[in-house]
Amino acid sequence: MTGVLVIEDDDRIRLALLLALEDEGYRVRGAGTAEEGLLMQRREPADNVLVDLMLPGLDGFECIRRLRRDDDVPIVVVSARDDTHDIVAALEAGADDYVVKPVAIKELSARLRALRRRARATHDPVQVLTFGRLEISPDAGEVRRAGRPVPVTRTEFRLLCELAEHAGRVLSRQQLLQRVWGYDTGDERLVDVHVGRLRQKIEDDPGNPRHLVTLRGLGYKLTR
Amino acid sequence: MRRLGLRARVSAGFAIGALLLSASMALVSYELTRRSLLDERERTAVRAAYFDAAVVRTGLDTEAPDVVEVLRSLDTGGNRRPLLHRGDDWYGRTADTGLTAAIPVELQRLVRDGEPAVQRVRVNGQPTLLVGLPLAPSTSYYELTSLRELDQTLRVLALALTAVAIVVAGSGAALGWYATRHSLRPLTAVADAAQEIAAGNFSARLATTTDPDLTRLSTSFNHMVDQLSQRIERDRRFAADVSHELRSPLQTLSAAASVLARRRDHLDERTATAAGLVADEITRFEQLVNDLIQLARGDQPIDRAPVDVAALARRACQARGLPDTLVRADRGGADRWLVDERRVEQILANLVDNAIRHAGGPVAVRLSQRDGTGVVEVDDEGPGVPPRDREAIFDRFVRGRAAHSRAGGDGTGLGLAIVAQHAAAHRGRAGVGDRPGGGARFRVELPGVLP
Repeated sequence: MTGVLVIEDDDRIRLALLLALEDEGYRVRGAGTAEEGLLMQRREPADNVLVDLMLPGLDGFECIRRLRRDDDVPIVVVSARDDTHDIVAALEAGADDYVVKPVAIKELSARLRALRRRARATHDPVQVLTFGRLEISPDAGEVRRAGRPVPVTRTEFRLLCELAEHAGRVLSRQQLLQRVWGYDTGDERLVDVHVGRLRQKIEDDPGNPRHLVTLRGLGYKLTR
Repeated sequence: MRRLGLRARVSAGFAIGALLLSASMALVSYELTRRSLLDERERTAVRAAYFDAAVVRTGLDTEAPDVVEVLRSLDTGGNRRPLLHRGDDWYGRTADTGLTAAIPVELQRLVRDGEPAVQRVRVNGQPTLLVGLPLAPSTSYYELTSLRELDQTLRVLALALTAVAIVVAGSGAALGWYATRHSLRPLTAVADAAQEIAAGNFSARLATTTDPDLTRLSTSFNHMVDQLSQRIERDRRFAADVSHELRSPLQTLSAAASVLARRRDHLDERTATAAGLVADEITRFEQLVNDLIQLARGDQPIDRAPVDVAALARRACQARGLPDTLVRADRGGADRWLVDERRVEQILANLVDNAIRHAGGPVAVRLSQRDGTGVVEVDDEGPGVPPRDREAIFDRFVRGRAAHSRAGGDGTGLGLAIVAQHAAAHRGRAGVGDRPGGGARFRVELPGVLP
């Protein structure tokens, strides 16, 4: 059974989400503050974390940063705020996805399922895809830069594998949203922020990327 | 006729004032000069005539005097011409024709009766001063003094004064133009600041001034802008707070409703119906809240970027289970339009939803482009929109008459208002007309889609 940790200060929302997600077949635990949630996740890691942004004490952004420091658990922000500023800040802090309240339980469940998916095994018999000094092992779930392992989140890894599989070809933001996040139509900022995060990890000069390049108005591609 | 601007009017006023002043000055000085010159001339002429008359009288005071010789002995210069009327005969120095005819009969009679007389006459078209003096009972002496030089002097004077008047009037206009430019400068500054504020820059303020006449204008203007930006900021924060406060309980409701829906089969019929009603209304309420938030944010500046609108339209159709072949993009235009993607996405979504709700679904979503204006048209084969409702349906909380009569309309009544607002944000417009062949055609024009 998949475990979900809900970090939400509103008792009623937390209870309702708990009931509804349990109906969907999740094992759910709730935390009313970021501190409590971080402690619970450290003691008994859940497979997914849902975080509200407005929390007493540590706010949601800081909570995401600290969760991310510990592991690559998929984090979904569930917030009533939908300013571009908040969304981008939450994604940059390390969240994998962002949904605006009220979100239907079916939709939320679909989001969690999409994020839990493992990177697809490539059809390529070569186990390691090489891009200059960058090495990606889709099956092993590893990324190395100049021989050193690069810590990437699960979502970042799936995004990288998707681009690596289509090396040299442009993937539009919508295609990436569909393949990595499972959205039919979604928020393209998800892709942009994740690409930015990936560049920080895999590029020698993230401001002037060599491998993960943007094609203005078209999308992204990974080049050797 | 278009009314003249303030500056033009003030300058014209200055010019007319200056012209009136300088013209009357010129007229007065011309008249004074003319009179004094004429008087002077007349006095000289009369004095000379008396002198000449005395000479003639002495010359005639002999036996059988040679009248012409006497007249010739006069030292008259080129300007004066003597004439003697003796008995019925006229004597002159030369055979001056027309001279005698120029002497009015009235004056002749006056002089013959022993009265000296002075009159201005024209001789051969020349202005001339005529002085008549009685010498003896049957002898009159006349002297004609040409005033041509004086006349020329006066003409030059008149010309000079006219020129001065015109120059003064022109200077008046220039002065007015210059003065208004300075006095209107604060107004220009106000206009510039207002324009900047209207464009969304709420930090624009008038520079503070030490001019006591302008301090009030700048302080009250700046105060107004402060108040305005505070109010807008308050409204923005309020909209954000409201959206948060409404969305949070909706999350509880939505999750709780899904728990109820899952147990629908275990509920008795009445409870199940009630739970269904609650779930439906929660969905509608969610939509309403989202639409209200959209409207509240509609006045924010738009964020134009190149957008593949055809792909957006296809996605809007797919998301509603419609075939994306409904979308027909004009091949002539550019692939990407410079628009605010979120707003255009919503325009498409709301128009398609509107067609689904009121007309059984769209039959075509057309994208075209003309002179840099992108046009989105959504056609349906529904009952159409009667002409009297075509403005009103873009107002808030107005729903189709058919939906009203069904009393079960599931729309929020805000969809088309949002479409109109998003169109207006692009400086475009939204409208509805008849589709050829029946149904309605919703049309949104978005100017400035070409870079």
